[in-house]
Amino acid sequence: MESLRKLFRSLANPSKRKKVLVIVSGLLITAGWTADFFWGSALLFNTLMIGAALVAGSEIARRAWQGLQNRHTNIELLVTIAATGGLAIGVYWEAAAVTFLFLLGGWLEARTMSKTRDTLRELINMAPETAIVVDDGDRTEIPARQVQKGMLVLVKPGAKIPVDGIVESGGTTVDESAITGEPIPTEKHPQSEVYAGTINQNGSIQVRATKAGGDTTLAKIIRRVEEAQEEKAPTQRFIERFASWYTPGIVGLSIASYLFTWNLELALTLLVIGCPGALVISTPISVITGIGNAAKKGILIKGGEYLENAGKVTAIALDKTGTLTTGKPTVSEIIHFSKEAALAGVDPEEEFQKVHTVSLSDQNNQSLPSEGEELLYWASIAESVSEHPLAEAILAEEQAGHITEPDQFESHTGQGIEAALGDDHIFVGKTEFMKQKGVSIGEGINNEIQNLTKKGRTVVLVASNNELLGAIGIADQMRPNAPKMISRLRENGIERIAMLTGDAQPTAEAIAEEAGITEVHAGILPEAKNDIILEMQKQGYQVAMIGDGINDAPALASANIGIAMGAVGTDVAIETADIALMSDELMNIPEALRLSSKTLSNIRQNVVIALVTVAALLAGVFTGSVHMASGMLVHELSVMAVILNGMRLRWM
Amino acid sequence: MTEEPIMKTTLRSDELSCPTCVDNIESSLNQTEGVSKATVHFNTGRIEVEHDPETVSEDKLVKIVGQSGYEARISQF
Repeated sequence: MESLRKLFRSLANPSKRKKVLVIVSGLLITAGWTADFFWGSALLFNTLMIGAALVAGSEIARRAWQGLQNRHTNIELLVTIAATGGLAIGVYWEAAAVTFLFLLGGWLEARTMSKTRDTLRELINMAPETAIVVDDGDRTEIPARQVQKGMLVLVKPGAKIPVDGIVESGGTTVDESAITGEPIPTEKHPQSEVYAGTINQNGSIQVRATKAGGDTTLAKIIRRVEEAQEEKAPTQRFIERFASWYTPGIVGLSIASYLFTWNLELALTLLVIGCPGALVISTPISVITGIGNAAKKGILIKGGEYLENAGKVTAIALDKTGTLTTGKPTVSEIIHFSKEAALAGVDPEEEFQKVHTVSLSDQNNQSLPSEGEELLYWASIAESVSEHPLAEAILAEEQAGHITEPDQFESHTGQGIEAALGDDHIFVGKTEFMKQKGVSIGEGINNEIQNLTKKGRTVVLVASNNELLGAIGIADQMRPNAPKMISRLRENGIERIAMLTGDAQPTAEAIAEEAGITEVHAGILPEAKNDIILEMQKQGYQVAMIGDGINDAPALASANIGIAMGAVGTDVAIETADIALMSDELMNIPEALRLSSKTLSNIRQNVVIALVTVAALLAGVFTGSVHMASGMLVHELSVMAVILNGMRLRWM
Repeated sequence: MTEEPIMKTTLRSDELSCPTCVDNIESSLNQTEGVSKATVHFNTGRIEVEHDPETVSEDKLVKIVGQSGYEARISQF
């Protein structure tokens, strides 16, 4: 009695119930064939087959009934009608096979499908359940999503970080692969940012929480991946429209063929193949697997539509700063005048001849000549209130300590800045800016500036009280993988690669040449980037724009596909781009395009498998070579074929 | 008159294998008393239910999905 109750309880669990019913009806069918083979007993054979049909059919009929109660017809209803009809006209084996195969197929498909949803489950499991909160030396363990902003969280070596935050004390290396896909651990010191779901490797750290639970970067990624997987690709929408009239169409065909031929078995067989299973699953299975696999590598593709578009890209436009280069400019050279010449010179013109260029990389931490220090000092005062990226480079180089902020400051966008401190007037900017301000530039320094520009440096001139002090060469280092990425893109059949940048032509060309790009559009404004992309599209290219996601927003939006780099920590990029690369790894760009085109062809293969199966089944039914059992078998096999084909994307 | 307390519960089922089963689950949840809205996302297997926890508990929701033939579990997000 107890064991019977146990059996019933386990039957309430849908997976176990399906398994039990499949096994029982399978055994009954085997027993039926055995009886037929050894004893030729038609009675036993038929009885066992009816039993099998009833066992497997009970579950199907129950679901059909549940649907009807909710005023809703479903595939289960069609199968129930077909099997009941089969029993009525005495084709017991067919009825048993149809119900058994339907259940077996559903069970196998469910098991396989749950594998495709692994990536998401792994991501969700990355977030630890609890966090150790430190308050005045007291440690309490609380659920991770209840951590408040500003709380101090202790993360032990080997533990997963439970929140997004800033390291307050301690140092360690952190495996951030869950978020960036980057296998190499990152070093963390006080002030470094850390993310929930990443793994603290060897040191104990205390983290000041900034975000917890659903607000963390990990949660955002999960949500993005989920939304992406749920968004329907154009092919999926098309197929679903097709499928929505396919089933009623087949039912109509079944009734019509019965009215014309009075052949009940033919009509029932049509009902059996009325489920558009392989068709409706063809696109989603590829999209889920493709997006899931990409997410594991730190590539966030926003949805099936973008996956399809990215698979068709023929041209690429890319931003220079922050994409091809690190986007963190540093001072590389300082050009200054020699003071002795100015002091000793009887003729003031003499000083312009004595120009010195100091390369900081050759300098090896030796201190700069005092003229160089002075140049940096004035430049730093002017730049200390500027938000220009170059300002950071200059300020990073100035080691004198405290910099006085200027009394007055004016920025001329794209040209330069002027500042005043006490009686001193400072100009920092381009050559043209200096000329406009009436600062004279000698030929000697002008040649040096030209030299540096040709090497790809951005050169900023510094003048105080209308007298030129010298110039600062600033280099934005190219990412080491840039040439490799460009050649990989060409290998993958990208016909046209163009670099778009606001920087000066010589600077841009120097980087382009190093990276292997021949088409350069330099010195252009963000709107012009947009125009170039529209022009490329007019010429028939499918364009992908690659940028940092913030300055390139219009261009990212007009391109067929917008790809943003280094998106971890910048919500804007995750939101605006069609594809967001969580890390700065350039090789993820060709990888994203490759995965997309693989997925696109996978979808096409699946649609072909599904359509060919439908056509073959219909032809088979009307030529009399496909009956109920074989119809259901072919149908279930085609569903499995489509699922397995889609799952290949996991290993691509 | 007090407003009915509405709770949002996310269930997940990894087993959904045929997009038509989405309709089965959705309609049986929506026909349940106490459920104001149910959405089933086939691709991810996510089932969002808005319900009145007094009338229909989370466990009951799992049971209803189970009756449609699919195993589901309650998820944090």
